[in-house]
Amino acid sequence: MKGIRLASVAAAAIAPALVLAAPAYADPDTDFSNELHTYGIYGGKDYNAWIGKITCKRLYNGLDQDADKSAKFVFLQLPKGSTTEQAWQFLGASLRYYCPDKLPVLEAATHQ
Amino acid sequence: MWIKASIAAAVVSVAATALPAVASADASDDYPIPNRILKTTCTVDQYMAAVRDVEPVYYERYMTDYKNRPVDVQDAARDRIYWFFSLDYAGRRQYSEDTATNVYYEQMATHWGNWAKLFFNNKGVAAHGTDICMSYPPNDPTVWNW
Repeated sequence: MKGIRLASVAAAAIAPALVLAAPAYADPDTDFSNELHTYGIYGGKDYNAWIGKITCKRLYNGLDQDADKSAKFVFLQLPKGSTTEQAWQFLGASLRYYCPDKLPVLEAATHQ
Repeated sequence: MWIKASIAAAVVSVAATALPAVASADASDDYPIPNRILKTTCTVDQYMAAVRDVEPVYYERYMTDYKNRPVDVQDAARDRIYWFFSLDYAGRRQYSEDTATNVYYEQMATHWGNWAKLFFNNKGVAAHGTDICMSYPPNDPTVWNW
């Protein structure tokens, strides 16, 4: 379990390299949604964008104090049957699109 | 004699059709306030913290609406929902009846129509929130500071 989580965290941190290569759109919600599709996460674009932004808000105001708490929050919002790995992928994408200054939270999780 | 009987029958049938219309204005055990809210023993803070976790978009929208109200309306809405939660089941059920039968009963609604949306308007949200609210601290001022 620990191994899976570490691998997920690492993957979530590495993904920006892939994203940067994509053409730039004006709408981050669309890009965010497209990246989620590559993880097999579907659902409403607006809904997912809300969750991504609220995930950031919870980090900013201290309700979630580390990446584990954030991933748990995200996991609750994903459809039934989603995996822990998908929650971490969603979290990584949220931080990159909506609050890149919070990316160190993700890095901290890899060193736990 | 025969005419009288038919008049009597007509009167009875009119009464029968009129009665359900009157009854439909009453509250039920699930309307306008969801049953789970009538029965929960959680505090306002516990319920809100739970909804913040399991229905975050609904919570976010309510809090955005709340923050866009003048401070005196915010204060009044907060006081009013704490008052409602201080009632027992019978009191809440009576309040549900009063608001269902008299649109002017709840004065708060004239200042902010959706003042209790997080609590009263959505059975699914009420169910998800009350499922887990007991596991949150009874007092948590952060739920209003979002």
